[in-house]
Amino acid sequence: MNGEKSQSITWKKRVIRSFIFPFLVLLIYGVLFAVMPEKAIAAFSSSERVLLNIIVPLGFVFILLVVFNIFLKPVNIIKFLGKESGIKGMVLSSAAGIVSVGPVYAWYPLLKELREKGAMNFLIAVFINSRAVKPFLLPVMISYFGLKYVIILTIFTIAGSFVAGYFTGALTKD
Amino acid sequence: MRIAISADGPNLESKVGQRFGTSKYFVIIDKETMAFESVPNPGASSLHGAGVEAIVLVVSKKVDTVLTGYCSPTAMNHLLNNGIEILTGVEGSISEVVEKYKKGELMENMGVEHKIESGSSEINRVVFIRSLKSSARQFVNILPTLSGVVLLIGMFNTLLSKELLSSVFSGNAAPDTLWGACFGSIFAGNPVNSYIIGGELLKYGISLFAVTAIIITWVTVGLVQMPAEMAALGRRFALVRNIVSFFIAIAISILTVTVLNFIIG
Repeated sequence: MNGEKSQSITWKKRVIRSFIFPFLVLLIYGVLFAVMPEKAIAAFSSSERVLLNIIVPLGFVFILLVVFNIFLKPVNIIKFLGKESGIKGMVLSSAAGIVSVGPVYAWYPLLKELREKGAMNFLIAVFINSRAVKPFLLPVMISYFGLKYVIILTIFTIAGSFVAGYFTGALTKD
Repeated sequence: MRIAISADGPNLESKVGQRFGTSKYFVIIDKETMAFESVPNPGASSLHGAGVEAIVLVVSKKVDTVLTGYCSPTAMNHLLNNGIEILTGVEGSISEVVEKYKKGELMENMGVEHKIESGSSEINRVVFIRSLKSSARQFVNILPTLSGVVLLIGMFNTLLSKELLSSVFSGNAAPDTLWGACFGSIFAGNPVNSYIIGGELLKYGISLFAVTAIIITWVTVGLVQMPAEMAALGRRFALVRNIVSFFIAIAISILTVTVLNFIIG
């Protein structure tokens, strides 16, 4: 397979890039500590409280990730998308978006290929927007906002992804 | 039992293709009857994602074994996960190789990766460990940004006054939702960060309308990744989808919170 070398390079780049943000935050902490040490300590202990709040839900997130990885293979997700059309295609692309993991840009090359093979813009937009529903992050969401809110939001998010998909399809070349 | 062999040509005299992802054909042979079909590899000409197309093809043909020269670890993982056995380092013509495989000669000297048979507990353990590893990797991937966000929120909690925040978020639902949607559109990354930020903003008395708009636009509208989306799916698609999604996010926020308030009473 070509492009393995370049893949590992972009992976390295991504790792480095992912550390820029926390590094900058630490830098600000450093500056703050130099100017107002007591504020910096207070900020740090406040962060500790935020962390304690999310640590249990994050544990559940990890368990859900493992379950997802056992039962869902990216290859199966790809097979769902674009092949069928009509109601089945809509349901499948929405489901694929919901269960897809990883950052959205990791999916762009694949989506591009699918579209070149004839997948509709409508379904691709449904896929991207359905990604706002994150089943494995639900523990965190519920701990912050409550179950009722999460259920209602999920329903409207899925419905909204179809509306967004419809307009995107209608206003582009579909 | 069906064997897929990456091949340079469509018939049994062709040489085994040396790269799984980009070889020109796949010759798929029934081991018992020797009936075969050859399928052009849709990924042969593309530089990126070629492996994916080859994997999808092989999986959809319900193949049990793949014989090839070389297969990337990623592709190999996908094949193993789909219960397909892979033998790499295979050379020669298709017919030679199949004969060798039938006699069991390939097994002895090639780098064979045994397939995972579902049902056996030994194998389920392998699947479990593999999933555990990839989950750990995904989890570790979100940690740097997550810790940055947590530290930043701690700082905001300490330094930011309610007054300052309420000068942006007025408490008036309509402009607040609009602001929330703008905020979420600029930021991107793992949505768990938007939940944490949203949850903390609620404590400052910012309306749930605004927080919901942040959560939705965080994923569905992305200014940061817009160039990448344009490059992959076209300028028009990216522009239209992001603009449409922005307004729909506002609608979702209004509907969600209204319904929630109605239910809670």
